[in-house]
Amino acid sequence: MGPKSILKSSAVPADAVDARKPPVNEQHLQVALQHANIIQDQKNVEQEILNATLELLEFPPDSKADPARPSPSDAHKFKTLVMPFQPNDYDALIEERNCADLCGYALCPRPRKKVPSASKLHFVDSRDRGVQIVPKKMLEVWCSDDCARRALYVKVQLNEEPAWMRRTGGGQEIEILVENTEALEFALPLRLKSKNKVQGELKDEDGEDIAAAWALADEALAELSQERGDKDSMPRTELIKAKIEERTNVKTPSAPSAETTASSAHMAIEGHIPKSDAKKTKDADDDEEDNDWDD
Amino acid sequence: MDSDRRDNPAMIRMWRIYRTAKEMCMDRGYQMLEEDINISLAEFVDRFGKEGDHEPDRSRMGFSAKPSEAMLIKYTDPPTPKVPNPQPQIGEIWIDFSGDENVGLKQLRDFMQHLVSTSYYSGILITPKPITGMALRLLRGSTQFEDGPRGGVETFEEQHLLVNITKHELVPKHVLLSKEEKAQLLERYRLKETQLPRIQVTDPVAKYLGLRRGQVVKIIRRSETAGRYASYRWAI
Ligand SMILES: [Zn+2]
Repeated sequence: MGPKSILKSSAVPADAVDARKPPVNEQHLQVALQHANIIQDQKNVEQEILNATLELLEFPPDSKADPARPSPSDAHKFKTLVMPFQPNDYDALIEERNCADLCGYALCPRPRKKVPSASKLHFVDSRDRGVQIVPKKMLEVWCSDDCARRALYVKVQLNEEPAWMRRTGGGQEIEILVENTEALEFALPLRLKSKNKVQGELKDEDGEDIAAAWALADEALAELSQERGDKDSMPRTELIKAKIEERTNVKTPSAPSAETTASSAHMAIEGHIPKSDAKKTKDADDDEEDNDWDD
Repeated sequence: MDSDRRDNPAMIRMWRIYRTAKEMCMDRGYQMLEEDINISLAEFVDRFGKEGDHEPDRSRMGFSAKPSEAMLIKYTDPPTPKVPNPQPQIGEIWIDFSGDENVGLKQLRDFMQHLVSTSYYSGILITPKPITGMALRLLRGSTQFEDGPRGGVETFEEQHLLVNITKHELVPKHVLLSKEEKAQLLERYRLKETQLPRIQVTDPVAKYLGLRRGQVVKIIRRSETAGRYASYRWAI
């Protein structure tokens, strides 16, 4: 395209003026207004998420805080701040915390794990898929497998729909994996209760959406439970009430055997390797398996 | 030993980036010493090479630049009855080279706070890799960001400064017009600014010159048939 001379441009006004006339048609005005509002909503939500990310960047304020037993105020703040997040915003938060050399889980004040080797790719052995090559970056997202699990537990609950399009406003209450359930009880409504409440208040299709979302979360939970090696005997409600046993003994050295090797920490890709008997039929499963944290 | 360090690709690469950054400041109108811009590789290695190994030490490469008299004038609005003594909308700039591979919100926020606490008007952060999406979001709103410097913050990826694009023979010369010159231009041709052809502020040359929305650049081309001719672009 050749350079436009200034003189040529001066010939434009005739139609340019026409185009700039305000829309006389009331309908056009409405549509324009509606679009402007959507764009404004979108900008507001983006700003809100940016501010939330800035706040959660070096969270929690107490450097000795325990991610398994967050203080009620930290837990409340975290849950409130991530409500408008979509899963990709949440990934961005994890990325930002990693840039700050912190564990990706926002209720954890510990530094992320550092793999001492300089090589960019690592071999990770898993029972069902054999040896896999995993980017070093992926191994350095969390401080521990437990935090990976806690963070994923939050991610599966996040609404896929952008917050400015959600009819129910900001989003639903997020639950977190904790040990000190009693201390947090006031902040953690039981799932059944919130389910009933939601279904009572909303139209059927909303209720279905929410039920579907919960079903998805349940699936992910079941998967998580399987990854952790829990037997199926553990009822789901246990998980929901968040009475999760911390596997504090996970790093205790023990004599290697086929069984312990398969489940020991160095084999798991940050806890993302399901056992071989995990159901592979559902699409949702595939999504959750290995593409979660590496982009 | 010294020749080893001089042959180091990482060193040569950083030397070129450093020189482009200096040239960019000069082309924007900041005061710059000739010898600073023409720093030799040997001297660069001497000043910025890490002890013992062959890597450049980015943390020592930061520099500041003051606007020249001409630049101050160019960035000062014409006086009006309301504002009889307008202040230039430009000031001392700080250019920093990030040592962090991954630059995100934290690094960008720290950089902004550093600029504010040291009273720089604006800043440029040169990063080894692209900054994160969230950092980009913060950057877009950085002039409104209460913790940021008045003149805002820009970032450049190192690899985009490896060569100075404005030195390429196919890139015509871009000259920023002052507000007064812009007003005269529009007056002379009886134009509104919206009628001018546009240039995105994200355009590589616009970014190099640090163009702000609303500014107008004069683009001077050479042609065998017409000699030199100029066109104008409105930055959006
Ligand atoms: Zn952690």
